[in-house]
Amino acid sequence: MSGHRVAAITRRLLQQFRRDHRTLALLFVAPIVILGLLGYLIRGSASAPEVGVAIEDQGPLGATVAAALDRSSLIKTTTVAASDGDGRLKDGSLVAYIVFPADFSRQAQAGSIAPEVHLEGSQPGTAGPVLQALQQALISAVAQAPGQTIRVQPHVTYLYGGPGFDTLDYFGAAFIGLVVFFLVFVVTIVSFLNERSQGTLERLMASPLRRGEIVLGYMLGFTVLALIQSIEVLIFSLAVLHVHNSGNVALIFVIEALMAIGAVNLGIFLSMFARTEFQAVQFIPLVVVPQLLLSGILFPVSSEPRPLQVLSNVLPLTYAVNGLRDVMIKGADLTWSSLQLDVGVVVGFVFLVLVAGVATLRRRIA
Amino acid sequence: MSETFAVEVENVSKSFEAVKALDGVTLRVRRGEIYGLLGPNGAGKTTLIRALVGLVEAHAGTVTVLGQRMPNVGVLHHVGYMTQQAALYPGLSVEENVRFFGAINGAEEGVKEALELVQLYERRRSVVATLSGGMRQRCSLACALVHKPQLLLLDEPTVGVDPQLRVQFWEEFRRMAAAGTTIIVSSHVMDEAERCQRLGLIQFGRLLAEGTPAEIRTMGGSQNLEEAFLALAGVKAS
Repeated sequence: MSGHRVAAITRRLLQQFRRDHRTLALLFVAPIVILGLLGYLIRGSASAPEVGVAIEDQGPLGATVAAALDRSSLIKTTTVAASDGDGRLKDGSLVAYIVFPADFSRQAQAGSIAPEVHLEGSQPGTAGPVLQALQQALISAVAQAPGQTIRVQPHVTYLYGGPGFDTLDYFGAAFIGLVVFFLVFVVTIVSFLNERSQGTLERLMASPLRRGEIVLGYMLGFTVLALIQSIEVLIFSLAVLHVHNSGNVALIFVIEALMAIGAVNLGIFLSMFARTEFQAVQFIPLVVVPQLLLSGILFPVSSEPRPLQVLSNVLPLTYAVNGLRDVMIKGADLTWSSLQLDVGVVVGFVFLVLVAGVATLRRRIA
Repeated sequence: MSETFAVEVENVSKSFEAVKALDGVTLRVRRGEIYGLLGPNGAGKTTLIRALVGLVEAHAGTVTVLGQRMPNVGVLHHVGYMTQQAALYPGLSVEENVRFFGAINGAEEGVKEALELVQLYERRRSVVATLSGGMRQRCSLACALVHKPQLLLLDEPTVGVDPQLRVQFWEEFRRMAAAGTTIIVSSHVMDEAERCQRLGLIQFGRLLAEGTPAEIRTMGGSQNLEEAFLALAGVKAS
């Protein structure tokens, strides 16, 4: 073992990186950006889930419990009319609403109370705090009326999903899209770069092929692969993993396929800005990590700090994820205006990167 | 539009940042001629060839190929371009490569002929990644001429090709030229230069001299083409 020879290798390595600013940026800037983003996302979003409270109780107990709920730090309450509740769940402004029925106080005297809890249900994480807050509020309210044991039997209903709806059902819908998007993107960007580095792109450009023909040919070729992959992912998710689906399978496939085609074109487009496969691989954290954090896959966009919501609303994956969840969890179809928006944005994105890919193809080889 | 010239380069200049790759080059290549571009590494040979297929756009001057001002995609149907590095798809077989380059140039036939010409017909099913450097070079040549182009641009085509096959290549080039194909070959190998009908000597992006090998020898005052080239380069560079 020679210290000089080892040092020679170490020195050479560092010299190499000195001229590779992109890799240096990836090593030293990317972690700060990613961790900073994550921190801001989690700490910056202080908002507790919004819960509606409808007091129909003719006695005093409903109001007492409502007041206790209001003091809970787990949720944020607003007063609603029971008849408006479902509408507010659908438009996403509430995650749940609680109704204290007209005979609520009388129920208490009879020793068994049944507040109605209506959960939106598409996000498995929100049911817990709501039920916990209600539990605590009831305990503190009942404690003010001692000498009596009251059984609590909340009547829980779900707008979407159901009691068996779990984390996989929630994330599965989003991940079907993410997995396809990510893998297709990586395969496309690397193989398009191969075309450059092995010199065949130069030959293509010196042939009568037009730029659009190259990009379109690539798109179709990878789309064939991507569609097969989409079918495989979909079948595995639904048949083997039993991810919850209330929607039309064909519609899920369409959204998935659109994402795959978008990923193909994004890969072609971004390959224009890399000279080597190594540089192409560096695009992966840049493209994938922010979308993973900000497109609502892990954290609902509505719970993000305001400035990040703006960013989220620009990312195409946000719409794809939202669309897939709407279809699979809420059973949305194309008559829903929200789904029309989601699909429209994804189609627009596919078109944008397609045009961008064609427009920038000549740049690098000249 | 000229019927006599396959290629007309008029006062073409091209710089890459501070480096002048082409500096006012003017040359004409007749139809059916084998024209050699000669010069050291970095002289501008490849840049000139790339300008002929429109991959490089000149800052000044004009390039006309087969009567069309370049860049012009349409004329590329009739142009075959063999790049310096054997640019092939390593995962495809020899035949699949040649068929592909034929197809994008609008030729569905001629694959067998091209493969026989480069003596790869027996190896047509071999995957390119498994071939030797010389075989790849031959496959690359087959890809460049499968569509029977009127103008064949060969950027150092015989690098890595063994002497016997090199002789055969040149016999074929001559046959194609006799049949009307114009061939432009870049090289820094002098014995290849002897086989060209006319030569252009390029250095520092400038055309130093042009003529038949005999004329170049006379200009350089030497019986040896290499010495003549060095003499011309030395005189002009100083």
